[in-house]
Amino acid sequence: MEPSKTNNSESKYWRSLRAYHNDPSVDDAKAREFAKEVTDGFDVDAMSPMSRKQFLALVSASAAFAAAGCTNYRDKGAIVPYIKKPEEITLGKANYYASTFVDNGQEYGILIKTREGRPIKIDGNPDHPVNKGKIPARGQASILNLYDPERLKDPMVVESGILSKSSWKDVDASIIAALSAAVKEGKEIAIITHTITSPTAKKVLNDFTAKYPTAKIYSYELFNDLNRRSAWMKSTGDRSAGTVTPAFPLIKWNEAKIILALESDFLGYEGNIAEQTRMFVENRNVDNAKNISRIYSADGTMNSTGMNADYRLRVRPDRQLEFVLALINEFAPNGKASLKDFAAKNGLDAADVKQLVKDLSENKGKSIVHAGNALPESVHIAVNVLNEILGNSALYNKEQSSVEYVETSKNDEWEALINKMNGGKVGVVIHFDSNPVYHLASDYGYAEALKKVGSVVTLAEMQNESSAASNYVLPINHAFESWGDHKTRTGIISLQQPVISPLYNSRQKEALLLAWTVSAAAFTETLYHEYLMTRWEKEVFPAMKSSVDFKTFWYSALHDGVVTFSETAQAFGKATSDALNTVAPVSAANDFVLYLHDNYFVGDGRYANNGWLQEMPHPASKIAWDNYAAIGVATSREMGIDENSMIEVSVGGRSLKLPVHVQPGLSDKFIAVMLGYGRTVSGTVGTGVGFNANLFMSKSASLSPWLYSGVTVTKTSDKYLLASSQEHHQLDDTFLKDIHKKRDIIQEGTVVQFLADPKFLEKEHSGSTIIPKIKYDGVKWAMAIDLNKCTGCGVCTLSCNVENNIPVVGKDQLGKGREMAWIRIDRYFSGTSEAPSVSNQPMLCQHCDSAPCENVCPVIATTHSPDGLNQMAYNRCVGTKYCSNNCPYKVRRFNFYDFRSEFNDGIQYQQPLNMLHNPEVTVRSRGVMEKCTFCIQRIMEGRELAIENGTVFDGSGVTVACQEACPADAIVFGNMNDKNSEIYKYRHHEIGYRVLEEINVAPNVTYVAKLRNVESQTEKA
Amino acid sequence: MSSTVLDYSKELSVIEGLPSAATLDEMIEKPINDFPQRRWFIGLAITGTMLMIGVVSLTWLLWKGVGVWGINQPVAWGFDVVNFVFWVGIGHAGTLISAILFLFRQKWRTGIARFAEAMTLFAVLCAVQFVIFHTGRPWLAMAWLFPYPNQHGVWVNFTSPLEWDVFAVNTYFIVSAVFWYLGLIPDFATLRDRATTTIKKVTFSILSLGWRFSNRHWQHYERAYLIMAGFATPLVLSVHTIVSFDFAVSIIPGWHTTIFPPYFVAGAIFSGFAMVQNVLIITRKAFKFETLITMDTIEKMNKIILVTGTIVGYAYIMEFFIAWYSGNATELFVFVNRAFGPYWWAYWTMMTCNLFTPQLFWSKKIRTSLLASFILAIFVNIGMWFERFVIIVTSLHRDFLPSSWGMFVPTMWDFGMLIGSFGLFFTLVLLFVKFLPAIAMAEIKAVIPGAQPTHHGNGASH
Repeated sequence: MEPSKTNNSESKYWRSLRAYHNDPSVDDAKAREFAKEVTDGFDVDAMSPMSRKQFLALVSASAAFAAAGCTNYRDKGAIVPYIKKPEEITLGKANYYASTFVDNGQEYGILIKTREGRPIKIDGNPDHPVNKGKIPARGQASILNLYDPERLKDPMVVESGILSKSSWKDVDASIIAALSAAVKEGKEIAIITHTITSPTAKKVLNDFTAKYPTAKIYSYELFNDLNRRSAWMKSTGDRSAGTVTPAFPLIKWNEAKIILALESDFLGYEGNIAEQTRMFVENRNVDNAKNISRIYSADGTMNSTGMNADYRLRVRPDRQLEFVLALINEFAPNGKASLKDFAAKNGLDAADVKQLVKDLSENKGKSIVHAGNALPESVHIAVNVLNEILGNSALYNKEQSSVEYVETSKNDEWEALINKMNGGKVGVVIHFDSNPVYHLASDYGYAEALKKVGSVVTLAEMQNESSAASNYVLPINHAFESWGDHKTRTGIISLQQPVISPLYNSRQKEALLLAWTVSAAAFTETLYHEYLMTRWEKEVFPAMKSSVDFKTFWYSALHDGVVTFSETAQAFGKATSDALNTVAPVSAANDFVLYLHDNYFVGDGRYANNGWLQEMPHPASKIAWDNYAAIGVATSREMGIDENSMIEVSVGGRSLKLPVHVQPGLSDKFIAVMLGYGRTVSGTVGTGVGFNANLFMSKSASLSPWLYSGVTVTKTSDKYLLASSQEHHQLDDTFLKDIHKKRDIIQEGTVVQFLADPKFLEKEHSGSTIIPKIKYDGVKWAMAIDLNKCTGCGVCTLSCNVENNIPVVGKDQLGKGREMAWIRIDRYFSGTSEAPSVSNQPMLCQHCDSAPCENVCPVIATTHSPDGLNQMAYNRCVGTKYCSNNCPYKVRRFNFYDFRSEFNDGIQYQQPLNMLHNPEVTVRSRGVMEKCTFCIQRIMEGRELAIENGTVFDGSGVTVACQEACPADAIVFGNMNDKNSEIYKYRHHEIGYRVLEEINVAPNVTYVAKLRNVESQTEKA
Repeated sequence: MSSTVLDYSKELSVIEGLPSAATLDEMIEKPINDFPQRRWFIGLAITGTMLMIGVVSLTWLLWKGVGVWGINQPVAWGFDVVNFVFWVGIGHAGTLISAILFLFRQKWRTGIARFAEAMTLFAVLCAVQFVIFHTGRPWLAMAWLFPYPNQHGVWVNFTSPLEWDVFAVNTYFIVSAVFWYLGLIPDFATLRDRATTTIKKVTFSILSLGWRFSNRHWQHYERAYLIMAGFATPLVLSVHTIVSFDFAVSIIPGWHTTIFPPYFVAGAIFSGFAMVQNVLIITRKAFKFETLITMDTIEKMNKIILVTGTIVGYAYIMEFFIAWYSGNATELFVFVNRAFGPYWWAYWTMMTCNLFTPQLFWSKKIRTSLLASFILAIFVNIGMWFERFVIIVTSLHRDFLPSSWGMFVPTMWDFGMLIGSFGLFFTLVLLFVKFLPAIAMAEIKAVIPGAQPTHHGNGASH
């Protein structure tokens, strides 16, 4: 049979014989693709009008949308190099911008280190005449607040009880309407702010009150110096022009031979700590041992100053007046009080008191008596008089005085405001970056009164107790996103410039007021910037009589971060003895006294959500993540209260249950509690940490807002675990007593001893070994820590945390002994539990020449570098932890977890916290050992620079993070092979010693022994 | 059976009665052939549960990190390394019994050697898991602890005692496994020949490696066994010596002690014998091996426990003496702190269980009492676990700098892993007694009365 023509005549191919023979079943089969009946009735056209192409287009489009929708938002941050390099940015090189950090009414010039446009580290601005390159701990850690994932991101409005996201346009409009309505109705507009340090901000406020005449400004700080100010006025009658309140003289601490601090922690939390510490340690220089100052501290608490004192007198705050009056009696006898009686009554060492009187009388005009802010006004008056009698007004700073722009509101002003609020006479309350609901004394009833105010506007970076009680919650820029100028001293203005554009839909707080003053439409991102520049150009610059034009001046001022000019300081009068007549004697109370005081790290609670600050151990108790009721050892025994049990403290009907910490050195029948804890509305880190002791504060405090007598203490059966970074030992346990001294970990002497024989500490150390010592011919890194200067403030730890990407581990992990800090401050008590002598010792990796950690690592993850560094190769580490066990200093830190993910449900992994990391330092993962590297990234930077410049790297110019931050300059780092270097001098210091030298690990950190400036040859207690 | 180099003829009879070779085989094979008893299943259920607790703990550990344990700074080693040293120590009895006692021709060892060897293997397995999982990153540790050429050019640290451990423990495991298997070959052949099911037949055929009980086989076997015994003997001393170096080589007071190697070895044998004693007494009872594992054997074991326990006790006291005599205040502190510090209870538990209670074995009545032996052996196990706890934890928790002192508080996961290791050990033991001959059939036949040729006409003569 011939192949059919109908069957693809062109085709020569056939697939089967049936096809070849044109079997009709083949055609039939071809026509239907599927078996019979499978697709019968399948009409494509009838099914969908969609073409195959359309269908595919839709499928691909939805796939694309789905993919886009599921994209992790992080993917947006693809790493793309600059196409056009910004002029000021070189990849891999840090830029530094001068700015200002303001804390509790103190300004600090800062340098912000930025990498590729993001700020990563804050240090002091060395050009700033006040803080001279040093900042307090909060300044170091403040960068964490910038990147806090829980910052407010959009303006929020409360509508029918629910806080919901809004827009600036709507918010501006309704607030302006509310403001205008308030003015029309004659209702007050209350602006509540913290201390205003900025003259331009003050101008903004002035403009605002001009536009809204019913506006009134209230200013407060939880920790303020009102008592000191009013005391100065009362003792001198000063009411100088130029300042709103009569200021008080600043003190030239560096000229003081004898310092008597009365419950004054000028080294810890009062005043400009960076400046005071620097000035104080100027006179604690062993190389000028003859001129070492002597510090007496009379206090009831165990604070930084008391811990550093040569003589510590245990005086309860409520007896300070009696003490000062008795002292006055010694120099200007009035027959009223006898120091001897006072000493006997209060259990003071008669010899010490005698010595104090002798020193004060021998150093007239060269000594200073300083009372703490929290002490009653009467004590301050007496102190002013005493200083005058002793001629110590010579130490008052006459060139500079402090400046305040808005007077701190007094008791009656608050009461008036709250009455008006309750009477419905307040239309709008604006919390200008303040949190009065948390801070104001509870018996004002502020929170209740706030409910009767029509519009409550809170300007805040984060949710807080006040924002929770507001109708409008407006996000404001962090300080590093803001412009500003700050003046807290005459003749010095510190400038603040943003270093990153706002991360969220937030606005600068001053710009908000400006916009409300002018019009909502007036707001632009540069509104306040322009306002600031205009004010400077018009009002400040002409007075400077500068020879350059404004632009040049302005840019150079921004570059320097600070403008100094000659300005006459406030003149201070003399304190007169008559002032004492106004002082009412305090009846000696025999019941418990409660003392509320500042804490060292979280401040007035503003830094509650800052994990780094929460995790810093208190300098004396070493407890972190909590406040507590500190009580003395004798009192605790008397009452049968142990550490970690709870007591109920009540004063004037206000009571609170607090955990107990038994603190050696505390006064008897005395309870000290830190404020700033117990935040109820904060971020997830800060909410519920500690107890809100603000509750104890009363508007009608008889002694001072921070000091209460007539306190009752009740034992409870409750327990509460406090987390501490250091174990507490009983001081009277003979087995453990002074063990740090027996082991030569702490070596100390007295100035007298040192002057008689500078080599008095020298000991024979054979140091013999059968292993040949490795020679380090080139650069050899070493560190020295001068314990005479170290005050134990902990700024080094925070600086290290920021520099080296150290995670927060949280309270439970800290309690388990898993803190990650690479440098810690060891605190040792010796002597008796009533009069302990305290030794601080920063402890970090000692980079031993014969490091015991190195030889035990099975995988060689820790090695020694040719320049004497003990190194860690994180990638190689498998985590046997053997190195840590074998480290005699226990300075190695292990990632028991991925702490970033473990702490607080992984908040440290949330955006934008990763922007905080120093890109030069590896972020360590779980299961890896880590420790101090001597900031190897900085060493390498120095080395690269030398290579780049073609010079020989001699190790000069490298500063490590802790050293850079140390306000006392107690840390020296450098190349010990360089005979001209400072470290060489310290390395061979007469009283330099190495901790645990006898075990022959050859550590490279030298400690300069502390000399106590006490009279006797041997150390006191 | 060919003559061995050993002459047992002068010794007491090792087993009771005069069973025939066939009776012996039957007796030993009985647990393998019979359907397991109910109590075996109950036992397995208990140990299996314990094992699962361990598995859950391990999973959680791997998921979260070693932070689930109570370890911290300064006590970076806790239950993990305590358990490791404990289990490695347990293993020592097996090798001592099978190798050293073999070389010393202690034929009373015959009844218990197989058992002890198996326990060695299981104990070392238990120990190895802690070595691996105590690390922060076990997935890397498993590879990186071995020296292998790689492109990174990184190498292991041969100066680290932990690296020595890797070699010591691995060698120990391999040698013990080979030794154990070697001894099993003739028994596998016996089982093969007596097998009733195909599965058994095939399995035992493969395992017996073609053993035909030929004279030649026996000759080679005896030689090989002797050589392996010689080979394993130094391991008894070396492994725990090296484990002790983990501590002795460090600089931590309480660890840095030259007495550690002999003291650890004695301790290991001490604890190993106690564990064998415990398991043995149960097995003996359960499988009615009373005629094979005689009271004489148990008494001899007790004597060794007494001797090693006293050596260990001597070491405890000598450590104290040297701490005082050396004039090293830090070291003296550590020892005083051990006895009277926060962990005094651990120290006195150790002293009681290791030094005091074993002294009861001076009394023959106690020595030959099954119940007393069992209870005192448990005490020894507890005591030896606490010994490691005392050494590791109390030395670390208060070392040089008082500022870094801290306490170690174990968590439920610490206990989970500990229970899990016991679960693993006893599960393996239960499987072993069910599926393999718990007593060396071939060897036991060599020590039945009359099995050995003798010149004195005692029993069969040639």
